[in-house]
Amino acid sequence: MKPIDIEKMIDDRPNDGIFRVHADIFRNEDLCELELKHIFEGNWVFVGLECQVAKPDDFFTTYIGRQPVIVARDSGGKINAFLNACRHRGAMVCQAAAGTRKHFVCPYHGWAYDSGGRNVSIPALAEGAYPPAFAKEDHNLRPVARFGNYRGFLFASLNADVLPLEDHLGEARTFIDLVVDQGEDGLEIVPGTVNYTFNANWKLQIENSADSYHFVPTHLSYIQLLGQRKTAEAAQRPSYLSNFREVDARRGSFTFAHGHNVLWGANDNPESRPLYRDIESVKRRVGEMKTKWMFYTRNLLIFPNLQLLENASLQIRVNRPLGAGKTEITTYCIAPKGESREARTLRIRQYEEFFNPSGLATPDDTVIFESCHAGQQSDLVDWQQGYMRGLGAGDPAISPEAVELGVTPVASISSSAGICDETLFHGPLREWRARLTRALGGAPT
Amino acid sequence: MTGDEAHRIAAELLYREALFLDERRWDEWLALYDAHPEFWVPAWRTDDTPTADTSTEVSLLYIASHLELAERIARVRSGKSAASSSLPRTAHIVSNVLAEMEGDAIVARSVITTQIFNIPRREQHIAITRCEHRLAAVGDGWRIKRKKMLLLNDYIPTMMDFYTI
Ligand code: FES
Ligand SMILES: [Fe+2]
Repeated sequence: MKPIDIEKMIDDRPNDGIFRVHADIFRNEDLCELELKHIFEGNWVFVGLECQVAKPDDFFTTYIGRQPVIVARDSGGKINAFLNACRHRGAMVCQAAAGTRKHFVCPYHGWAYDSGGRNVSIPALAEGAYPPAFAKEDHNLRPVARFGNYRGFLFASLNADVLPLEDHLGEARTFIDLVVDQGEDGLEIVPGTVNYTFNANWKLQIENSADSYHFVPTHLSYIQLLGQRKTAEAAQRPSYLSNFREVDARRGSFTFAHGHNVLWGANDNPESRPLYRDIESVKRRVGEMKTKWMFYTRNLLIFPNLQLLENASLQIRVNRPLGAGKTEITTYCIAPKGESREARTLRIRQYEEFFNPSGLATPDDTVIFESCHAGQQSDLVDWQQGYMRGLGAGDPAISPEAVELGVTPVASISSSAGICDETLFHGPLREWRARLTRALGGAPT
Repeated sequence: MTGDEAHRIAAELLYREALFLDERRWDEWLALYDAHPEFWVPAWRTDDTPTADTSTEVSLLYIASHLELAERIARVRSGKSAASSSLPRTAHIVSNVLAEMEGDAIVARSVITTQIFNIPRREQHIAITRCEHRLAAVGDGWRIKRKKMLLLNDYIPTMMDFYTI
């Protein structure tokens, strides 16, 4: 691998009104290798939800970067995460996506582990003529270095040298709370797995969700279709009408420490949301202000792999790089437990229509990511210019919305929709640069 | 009606649907459908169990009206959807057709493998589905009342739509 100068990947001179990003960060395989090692496998990533392991011995399998892991609740009720790799010769001890098991028995030579990852059996151990040193080894499935649970959102890190989870999430927690608190009894996943890939860099997805500039041109066919529904027989099928269309709607963003950000938009038609049916009880529980925010469009990024998106309905979208030019997406439709069947069905239809890879919005994004990835191979087009909208608006002061929510982000912008700010992308990129610089032994900037 | 007759009707309709999709004859394709159709691709609950209830579970695609099918066609024709503007070339290969009468309806089970060639990317993939068509007699012909497509390889390359499945 030839050395990569991370500092040279981002031309970050806000005082000169410059922020440019080198196309290599989207196309260079060596860089992607570094990202996998130091960002995805070297710090906190989202792995799943507590409700996926509701009962003792429930488990699900997933990946942290390239490494297969099992998240399981042990027989005593504690949730753990460990590498899905047998200590004997490395076979995966579990192939299933999810289930309930007291034991994980390795298919190769039969070593067995309990739901807490502890080794409980090595077949023919006594007859094995093992040397004394063998008994001194730890035979348990290897636990992740750090595991944390913030209000049902499970995170893990393969590197022990990380901030406590609560500090890593920081004030971005406010926006997780706005989701968790929608139901009196918390959240659940609506059954039905949706996985897809696209042939482009993972950062295109996390930037796209913070990008209000693309909405009208990219999703024009969807917007037109929604407009026609207003008039046609469509009344019979309530559907989300994006407030992104209303140029006057108030809109803004928060940049939090550690790479997290939020794009938000005021919502003039809260009645289109499934939660509207319970709005009075939500208000009683969390108050007027928080309720209003629950109905706003909010795209939250918890750097690097979790997006919590609420517009048409509520989505968890998890990204995982498979290479510089290939990304795997896993999505979950989440909902307040115990909502009415009518609200649930509306939520599901809105979710499928907007977010699915068969939907009317998401495919226009993912197909364009692929077109970006092809274009980004151009050597003569190295510096990307898509990071400067809003940079001339002056100091990003604390917005009234930050005051309202009681948060003190790194930056908060609030404006009319027309500005379509791009400075929101800077936070994740600066975190990206800081982490890689630190990992490669340079001084963090 | 005899089983042979039901099979002949079903197979011909399924082949015709495949042809219309592959030749992008969208209006003729839509005309094969009943006025109140259901077009459904369940998702998978677990590795072995597909979703079964569209009102409480997420589907990969669920369309329950003629209007929404027509909207999909309008979206393709609009020229304003990046996902729909460089349409893939497809071949829907219909096989293993078994048809039975269920009351007044013909229920046809089949395996449909769609070969999809993405022109700008010069790449191909396949969508493997086990299908169930429910056909209703309308006037002197048969229309598709319900089409359920169980997608076996639900690790979707970028996108899917009514013409890729
Ligand atoms: S690899 Fe697991 S028992 Fe041998
Ligand atoms: Fe989009």
